[in-house]
Amino acid sequence: MSRGLKEAFVFIAPLVLFVSFFILFPVFGTVWNSLWQDIPFITRQFILFNNYIRLLNDQQFWQATLFTILFALLSVCLEMIFGTITALVLNEKFHLRGVMRGIALIPWAIPSVVGARAWQLIYRYDYGLANWILQTMGIPSVNWLGSSLGAFTALILADVWRTTPFVAIIILAGLQTVPKDILDQAQVDGANMFRRFFKITVPMIKPIIIVALLFRTIDALRVFDLVYVITGGGPGGATISLSLYGYKFFLLGDFGYGSAVSITLFVIAFIFAMIYIKIGKFRSR
Amino acid sequence: MNEKKIKKMLLLSGIIFVSVFCLAPFCWMLVISFSTRPDFLLHQNLHITMTNFLDVLSTKSLHFLDYLKNSFVVASITAFFSTLIGALAAYAVSRISFSGKTTLILTVLALSMFPQICIVGYLFKIMSTVGLINTHSALILPYISWSVPLALWLQMSYFSQLPSEIDKAAQVDGASRMQVLTKIVLPIALPGFMSTVLLLFMFSFNEFLFALMLTTDHTARTVPVGIALFQGLHGELPWGYIMAASVVSCVPVILIATIFQRRIIQGLTQGAVK
Repeated sequence: MSRGLKEAFVFIAPLVLFVSFFILFPVFGTVWNSLWQDIPFITRQFILFNNYIRLLNDQQFWQATLFTILFALLSVCLEMIFGTITALVLNEKFHLRGVMRGIALIPWAIPSVVGARAWQLIYRYDYGLANWILQTMGIPSVNWLGSSLGAFTALILADVWRTTPFVAIIILAGLQTVPKDILDQAQVDGANMFRRFFKITVPMIKPIIIVALLFRTIDALRVFDLVYVITGGGPGGATISLSLYGYKFFLLGDFGYGSAVSITLFVIAFIFAMIYIKIGKFRSR
Repeated sequence: MNEKKIKKMLLLSGIIFVSVFCLAPFCWMLVISFSTRPDFLLHQNLHITMTNFLDVLSTKSLHFLDYLKNSFVVASITAFFSTLIGALAAYAVSRISFSGKTTLILTVLALSMFPQICIVGYLFKIMSTVGLINTHSALILPYISWSVPLALWLQMSYFSQLPSEIDKAAQVDGASRMQVLTKIVLPIALPGFMSTVLLLFMFSFNEFLFALMLTTDHTARTVPVGIALFQGLHGELPWGYIMAASVVSCVPVILIATIFQRRIIQGLTQGAVK
């Protein structure tokens, strides 16, 4: 052990201990478990990759994978757009900007389950706020939670609502690093504000946009709370996410198969992370 | 129309859009929680009442107060210990040069990005084996591990802002590293410590999947799980109660978020900018 490590040991030991015992160990446990047929009190048998082979032929698993990836891509795209707009607004100087920043934090600060319950009520077919607004505008009611497309849209909208503040805060930090004199000079040179935004601001905050994309995509891929509360995976399994699918097997006591589903989700998230990290490095050079 | 006017109009519409979009679901929740029935839009008969709140807070069989108490206990203990453990590690990382430092930081950060579902199944098995299911510890232990990377990350940036000369001077005077941290660095970095505690409190207060899997009834169940599992007597969900409970559970986190808005924004962005 080097002298530095010896000195640092007491300080980092508690962190390493907690993280290894309650995160690393369970992760390896899950990987190991995915190689077993493991239903407590009934069977525990080493079956190597049979759980994964079962996944390949599992229609519901493929649907969950497709849903999860589509949900993540679409909601993250929209969040980046709305987040950037929100950040641009919050970056301007106006009265009550502090209050406004507080308001923008609310959807993100309150428990996700609470937000999800509010949306679930808003989406109710008969007396929900969403359909009431549509009707007042003369648009026929939408069966939000009773149709696959409606439920998908409903979940995306709720997720965009909840996480836009987070994206906005990160992008706002990026906006504040853009030197004002460059923007002013461009204005003097006759570039309008859209040109200034796309030609100066966006290239300068690109690294931070990629960080936000990375965080958000990984977070969106593991979506659980929203789906659990708003649709419960319905209608007819159309909105089951991989996290929810894995959870369902844990709940049934099928730990081996649930582990295999979870590990697949991890692999998907890992692939996305690698892609973003590649893009990020490539661009900043 | 000149650019200034266009900009002003865009800004104004942006302000209106952002506020309405962010506030609408929350306001709707407030309205329902204070109304006698959730379907008043259908019958156009809105009556204001406090019964939802009174019922939720006083009906023993709903256990909402138990959930609140559990949430507070779990979130406070988690926030405090996680911040403390994070502070220890952050101090080592920012002041002592040791091999494997970068690996440690990156690994810890990568671990916090894991999908929770990859952990929760096996964690359930561990907790059942040691008989901790449905206790506060079953939540606190994984919560600390889950939030400590953030505690490390936030405090690393606070500590690195402090000049290291003050440590050196104290060490020359014969203080050990641990004394330097507890007697000098932590007191100076106290605002950073406190805002980390509050941020972690918020995260643990809001957490759902672990709490859903590792608790079974009101002895350890937290507010989010309670709200998600609210059952109606006759199939129809008691929306008034659910919304009243939701509003109550939003109070602490909204207080934290608005009062410490600046610090939270600072904390969250410091990591990202680097």
